[in-house]
Amino acid sequence: MTSSLLHPPAHLPPTVALQLSQQAPALLRSTPSAISPYSISSLWSAAESPELWTTYENLMLSCLRTGDEQSAHLCLQRLTERFGADNERLMALRGLFQEATAEDDAALKKVLEEYEKILAQDSSNMPVTKRRIALLQILKKIPESITALNELLDASPTDAEAWAELSDLYLSQGMYSQAVFALEEVLLITPYAWNMHARLGEVLYVAASSNEGGADRSLSESMRRFCRSIELCDDYLRGYYGLKLTTSRLLTMLSQGSRQSKTDTGLPPPDLKTVESLNELATSKLSEIVRRNASGESGWGGYDQSDIIAAQELLNRDSTPITR
Amino acid sequence: MPQVPVQTIHRDPQLFYWILIPITIVMILTGILRHYATVLMAVTPKKQDLPTIREQRSLLRAINLRMNANAISTPSFNARKDYMVTALENGAFLKEPDKKGQAAPNPMTDPAAMEGMMGMMKGNMAMIIPQTLIMGWINAFFSGFVIIRLPFPLTIKFKSMLQAGVATKDMDPQWMSSISWYVLCIFGLQSVFNYLLGSDNAASQMAQQMGQMGPGAAPQMFGPGVDAYKQYQAEAENIAVLDHQYTLEGVENRLLQSVKV
Amino acid sequence: MLSERELQISPIVQDSVMHNTKTLTTLHNLTASLFGVGAGILGLESYSGFIFYIIFTLLTSALVYGLRVRPAGVQNGKGGIERYFQGSMELWTGGLVDGLSGFVLTWTLFYGLVRA
Repeated sequence: MTSSLLHPPAHLPPTVALQLSQQAPALLRSTPSAISPYSISSLWSAAESPELWTTYENLMLSCLRTGDEQSAHLCLQRLTERFGADNERLMALRGLFQEATAEDDAALKKVLEEYEKILAQDSSNMPVTKRRIALLQILKKIPESITALNELLDASPTDAEAWAELSDLYLSQGMYSQAVFALEEVLLITPYAWNMHARLGEVLYVAASSNEGGADRSLSESMRRFCRSIELCDDYLRGYYGLKLTTSRLLTMLSQGSRQSKTDTGLPPPDLKTVESLNELATSKLSEIVRRNASGESGWGGYDQSDIIAAQELLNRDSTPITR
Repeated sequence: MPQVPVQTIHRDPQLFYWILIPITIVMILTGILRHYATVLMAVTPKKQDLPTIREQRSLLRAINLRMNANAISTPSFNARKDYMVTALENGAFLKEPDKKGQAAPNPMTDPAAMEGMMGMMKGNMAMIIPQTLIMGWINAFFSGFVIIRLPFPLTIKFKSMLQAGVATKDMDPQWMSSISWYVLCIFGLQSVFNYLLGSDNAASQMAQQMGQMGPGAAPQMFGPGVDAYKQYQAEAENIAVLDHQYTLEGVENRLLQSVKV
Repeated sequence: MLSERELQISPIVQDSVMHNTKTLTTLHNLTASLFGVGAGILGLESYSGFIFYIIFTLLTSALVYGLRVRPAGVQNGKGGIERYFQGSMELWTGGLVDGLSGFVLTWTLFYGLVRA
């Protein structure tokens, strides 16, 4: 259980987060209340390890998610004792704590002002800059948030996390080409991140669904992105799901005989046969994954349950017209 | 071939307790001490202001574009290429855009540069001082003792190396003096440190010497006295001549070939 | 060696390679010291000591191959070595060089202690 405390808890399912935070009081009691960096007792007491502090940080985040503010505050306090109040990451964590405990928008605005005060003193404080951007989103100030994020990225253009966030923001605003651009920047930093390839495929698919004019162009690009994500990661459920969606749409589009416009990706559009066989491949792979996961074969766990359900649903939707 | 009688030397067993074991233990303890001293002395990287970060990371971005260009489509790449090359050549990302083309300041006068050099000096000190101290200690207390015999034969050439401090002509080169034991410890204790301190410890000299050659290249890139504008121009040229090949080309056929249901 | 384009298509993650080699090096360092203890206590001399070392190091590599690398290869339907290492030499001969100095040290020490 402690091992999951060492990983960033951003995508922990709610149940796990709850479980973790329920253990918090016990864990906090079992670890020493204060570890002073230089003392005789540290020679024989358990050595402080980077893991301990990571645990505290993640425990705090889990506790905040489940509303255990007391334990969260304790975590924060211990981290502050060790690293001092003017540590950049701790400033951001403290802000996060204040955000989580804020009662209403007015309180949130006060936190925002505090962030701005910190940033006025030291504009290179990245963690606080990011918290400010996140807070702007919470306060529904998306355009301001995008501007702030762009400023951050101008100063630090190698931050994949920020680019991904920017892409999400653009997507929420319906600015698809900008979202695609931001995701391409992510891929330039981490060219082998299959989840990012799939994500770009998703964005392209959404873009293709929204504008009917150049739909087939971004659709075939989207299909290729999903192919790439599967190529990089075997049995990638999300990739196959996307592949199935895109190929189905491409098939209907191609069979309607819509005239092929020249793609703007510099690649020729895929021919009908390839798309068909890709569609078959995706269907059979999806059903294989769902079947093997359901029967609990070893090596086939680890999929997110909601993803499996969605894949099952997609398969059902597809098969009904044939059986009827 | 007549068997050469094995040379035997009667040694006082106390030699082990008072020379061999102390040297070994001191070597291990020094290694651990050096590891923790290096950890303690590690300077936290100096906080940089926003323009400096921008200057460095923009160059990194350009390098990323060059290295990973194949991940994006040709039109996207071309758009980025045009933007990057122009921006790099104009020096748009520079800390002080109007100062481009000027000679870099002398690293000796720049306080930030001095700090970096001090850090390197400290690292070297942590390596040299214990080594000289122990060498002196062994020379002062234990020189002239023959303490141990190697279990394998060596040629006569090794005699001067292994029997340093013992001037005996006829002794078999297998016999080792205390200083040679020290030298053997330096090379052989690596595995002990690996076990005690984790595999990326700072205790072993070997790793230290490697480290000075290997990652030394990375800080060099933004090191003091390096003209960022020159780097920009070189990078712009690299990007401009890059041959772009889209990885997604033909991916659907590759996938159909490789994945079997 | 793979061509540049093949490397782009199916990349080798440097971190994982580093991790694999590091784990293997640590294992060999540790076992080499233990083999040194063994050789010293047995009182092996010259060639027999080195042969002892080579045989046991190869045995360690073979155990790694048999217990860890091979099953993964069977599961995937292709050779396991490519999955974990850049070449088969890394697995078989890399360990010999890594542990040699540690082996000589402990061998000498224990030989000396036993035969004093």
